[in-house]
Amino acid sequence: MSSFDLYTLSPLIVLCSAPVLVMLAIAVRRSHETSVAITLASLGLAFVLVRQLGAEAPRQITPLIVIDRFALFYMALIIAAAFVVAVQGYGYLKRRHVQPDEFYILLLIATAGAAAMAASTHFASFYLGLECLSVSLYVMIGYLRESPRSAEAGLKYLILAAASAAFLLFGMALVYAQLGILDFAGLAHAKATQTGSDMIVVLGFVMMLVAVGFKLSVVPFHMWTPDVYEGAPAPVTGFVATVSKASVFALLLRYFSAMDPHLYRPVYVAVALTAVLSMLAGNLLALRQDNVKRILAYSSIAHLGYVLVAYLAGGPAAIQAVSYYLVAYFVTTLGAFGVVGTLSTRGEHREMDSIDDYRGLFWTRPWLATAFTVMLLSLAGIPLTAGFIAKFSVMSAGVGADLARLVIVLALTSIIGLFYYLRIVAVMCARPAQSTAPVGAYVPEEKASRSGALVLFALTVTLVWIGVFPAPLIGILKTLTLGAH
Amino acid sequence: MLNELWLIPALPLAGFLALAFLGARMPRGLAGFIGVGSVGLSAALTILIGLRFLGAPPPDNSYTQVLWTWFEVGKLSPQIAFCLDPLSLVMTFIVTGVGFLIHVYSLEYMRDDPGYARFFAYMNLFVSSMLILVLADNLLLLYLGWEGVGLCSYLLIGFWYSDPANCRAASKAFIVTRVGDTAMAIGLFLLATHLGSLNIHTVMEQAQVQWAVGAPLAVAAAALLLGGAVGKSGQLPLQVWLPDAMAGPTPVSALIHAATMVTAGVYLIARTHVIFELAPSVQGLVAAVGALTLLIAGISALAQRDIKRILAYSTISQIGYMFLALGVGAWSAAIFHFFTHAFFKALLFMAAGAIIVSLHHEQDIFKMGGLRKQLPAVFWTFLAGALSLVAFPFISSGFYSKDEILMLAWYSPQGGWHLWLAGLTGAVLTSVYTFRAVFIVFFGESNGHVTSKPGSMMTVPLWILAGLATLAGLVQTPITHLLERTPLWSETAGEQTAHTGELGLQVAAIAAGLLGIYIAWSRFVVHRDSTREWTETAAGAKLCALSASGCGFDWLYDMLFVRPFITAANFCKKDFTGAIDTAIVSVNMGLNYALHASQSGRIRWYATAMAIGAAITLAIVILL
Repeated sequence: MSSFDLYTLSPLIVLCSAPVLVMLAIAVRRSHETSVAITLASLGLAFVLVRQLGAEAPRQITPLIVIDRFALFYMALIIAAAFVVAVQGYGYLKRRHVQPDEFYILLLIATAGAAAMAASTHFASFYLGLECLSVSLYVMIGYLRESPRSAEAGLKYLILAAASAAFLLFGMALVYAQLGILDFAGLAHAKATQTGSDMIVVLGFVMMLVAVGFKLSVVPFHMWTPDVYEGAPAPVTGFVATVSKASVFALLLRYFSAMDPHLYRPVYVAVALTAVLSMLAGNLLALRQDNVKRILAYSSIAHLGYVLVAYLAGGPAAIQAVSYYLVAYFVTTLGAFGVVGTLSTRGEHREMDSIDDYRGLFWTRPWLATAFTVMLLSLAGIPLTAGFIAKFSVMSAGVGADLARLVIVLALTSIIGLFYYLRIVAVMCARPAQSTAPVGAYVPEEKASRSGALVLFALTVTLVWIGVFPAPLIGILKTLTLGAH
Repeated sequence: MLNELWLIPALPLAGFLALAFLGARMPRGLAGFIGVGSVGLSAALTILIGLRFLGAPPPDNSYTQVLWTWFEVGKLSPQIAFCLDPLSLVMTFIVTGVGFLIHVYSLEYMRDDPGYARFFAYMNLFVSSMLILVLADNLLLLYLGWEGVGLCSYLLIGFWYSDPANCRAASKAFIVTRVGDTAMAIGLFLLATHLGSLNIHTVMEQAQVQWAVGAPLAVAAAALLLGGAVGKSGQLPLQVWLPDAMAGPTPVSALIHAATMVTAGVYLIARTHVIFELAPSVQGLVAAVGALTLLIAGISALAQRDIKRILAYSTISQIGYMFLALGVGAWSAAIFHFFTHAFFKALLFMAAGAIIVSLHHEQDIFKMGGLRKQLPAVFWTFLAGALSLVAFPFISSGFYSKDEILMLAWYSPQGGWHLWLAGLTGAVLTSVYTFRAVFIVFFGESNGHVTSKPGSMMTVPLWILAGLATLAGLVQTPITHLLERTPLWSETAGEQTAHTGELGLQVAAIAAGLLGIYIAWSRFVVHRDSTREWTETAAGAKLCALSASGCGFDWLYDMLFVRPFITAANFCKKDFTGAIDTAIVSVNMGLNYALHASQSGRIRWYATAMAIGAAITLAIVILL
């Protein structure tokens, strides 16, 4: 390994050494501010390094990892999301009686794992990255030990994720047993030269698909989503909803672009069916839901269904559409859970996630309500937000690849989606509920943490900005190429 | 060199954003400063850019600034781009200049209103939307401005929303113009799909290449665009919203009637005149609409008691003149009449607003009277506006613009004596109703009690506009020459060639105006009592009621559309389509219940479901 290879790997190295640094700092003296500062600084450094590397030629480093523009883009996305979560987590944890520092260690490890997945070209690196991410997430989801719901969510995620990891490992083992190959390029080559289908290999792939489906929380592997989203602290929910999904999607894109899914019709049909079911179930389940975090959980199931439609389109259009969609989804989801987290500073024991907590928010916290409205409109795909362009590009990718039926389902289920997004907006516009405080009593105004508010503002502006002015982002997405050739 | 063009619409937009988000917490002074300052800067910038444009005209007299491309999918790539050419320059000049004076005036007019910041936020958005409309380089952006104008008119007409009547007026304006907007949207789709572009210039060039004169598609496109134009500009048959739009604060009326909104239709036709030239039948219809509207609105104005409604009908009638000019191919004359009309109509509304405030929100002219002595500044400025409105010879700008229209209505190949006669009759009506208001409000005995006098924030804009209304006629030749440099501008109406009998027409026009003033003087000053007696006779009362109701159009539409629609809706309420709607809801809800049962929260079941899912997936893959 040359020193240039080390330079190329520098973002990952920074991400891996940052948790150690935070641990050392804790050993010296516990200070929430120091931990946050180290976390944010290392995430910032990693982001800058990723940008620096963008100009370099793609590079395969060992059979495990490739650093190409595609990997770098997803790394940048993951790191940026982790940055946002760290800032939101700071405001959130400051007001709760828990040791906050370990949260950042876990966050950094999870980020490193997700980033490694985006760059992996080998089952080994894939699995290592995934486990780094998952194991950290178990603890992060259950971070509020005192809260039964948080602990329950952590435990549920642990058991089900372990089951899915078993599927994944077993699938990999079957493939390896039959073909003796663990790297993606080799697999693609073997698949192309092989004639006829090998039942054991097919079984292996299906098992891996189950694990991927679990991580993406698509039907029928979605059931954990609402429970975990509801129980986890709001910033962690944002992280689960974005980073862990995007890293898996990055892998999926890389993996399947190595092996043309169109050659392999049954898998293709299975994924299409999953997409349709996700769009339907996600949107339908959210209809009567009164818990905002659960609504967002169901909506994320539906959104992953939309992304799968773009993914099935295949080719460069798919990479572009999926990536744009994920960017929009990242910004929106982080913003939405950021709003929930910001509101939740007032309750010590409970998060403000019941829809009644949002009644009349426009009158009491107009800024927060405006930001949330923009997020929800973007999720619904209303023009002038990023969500519109995202949905549009998914549809046009779908139409371009002759996926008319899937696109029709997408359009119809989006209409259902409009109902529950607008329902929240309507509740926020309604007159505030009668205050229980006596008339004229002094109600201290609740202040959002300043950093959290700033991040929320930045997310809102970004959302409108890339909705109105998407050309630069699309320009970047057009240069995303895979592989080190 | 014209790189700052984008700032012209962006500044009021920024003002809107600042006021909308921070206005509630701002001190009033700052809110007013932002509201007025943003439009003021925009107006100053327009003058600067205008001077540069005139000093060194860009090639083809058109400068396009592409800011960015919204998105690119297939052949569709809507751009955020502005285009400055002589036509949009003149429009921009009026929108920002007159808009600025109205804003200054509003500082004092709205001084005590609790919704001060909200008012300026809407006003800024209004100006910004109108600027986007006139500067847009493509049809989509134009449509954005068009809709923005519609939205702002709704917000501002219903500004005092606690009174349900104001909300009804706002809804009426929105719904009636929506009828036209729909036609226009279809027209834009038609142009975009058949001519393969959204860029206005390209569309016009393509239309000339692809469509022959009288081609069915050209006729359809022109008719649909005309539908949009009559909606926004308050022309027959969609004029009914404009008189009710008086429910808003008076500066809003001034803005709607002078600088924004109602002139959008005139601009649209002038901008897409190529299409209209390809559809001579529709162009004839434009002239007919204009002629009819100016007559009906003139008659309707005769018996109004509310000073703002008189002015509202006069706007409808004056826009009718502009349509008449457009219909006979006199594009420059139409725009020049818009130019002078903006000054004197803003002036008249603002003077009327000054009276209304001075009399403690009294709008009935019969409760005014004798204000000449009590409010001299308002009297003289209102008089300047009134003279311009009736096209008083030589010392008013309206004379130059209206005279031109009447002349071209006669001489243009598409014109004729009947159009000219309609215009001339309208001129008589204009003088009668205008001076009826002048005589009743400012002469005679004093009825009202002047509680306060307008301050300098109100009178200075009045004097400036009075000066402009009087003198703007002098720039007729330069403006016309400037407009003729607009790309694709083709005057089909007669050029400035000398016609025989031109003098006769001019004398007739002058005489018509003077005759109207004389009638008003004799009926409302000299023989006022006999006029009152006549209105109490059976026939007189009926005629007055007809005029006061705007020739019964509200009643007619109520009978033709509203009532049948409500009856049909009531009838359909019980039919099967309702069942379809409820069925959709219950299917969705039923599915929700079914799926909801699966979310039991039990981890055993979740793991089982995962295994079942895996088994099914495997089955699919193996069986297929």
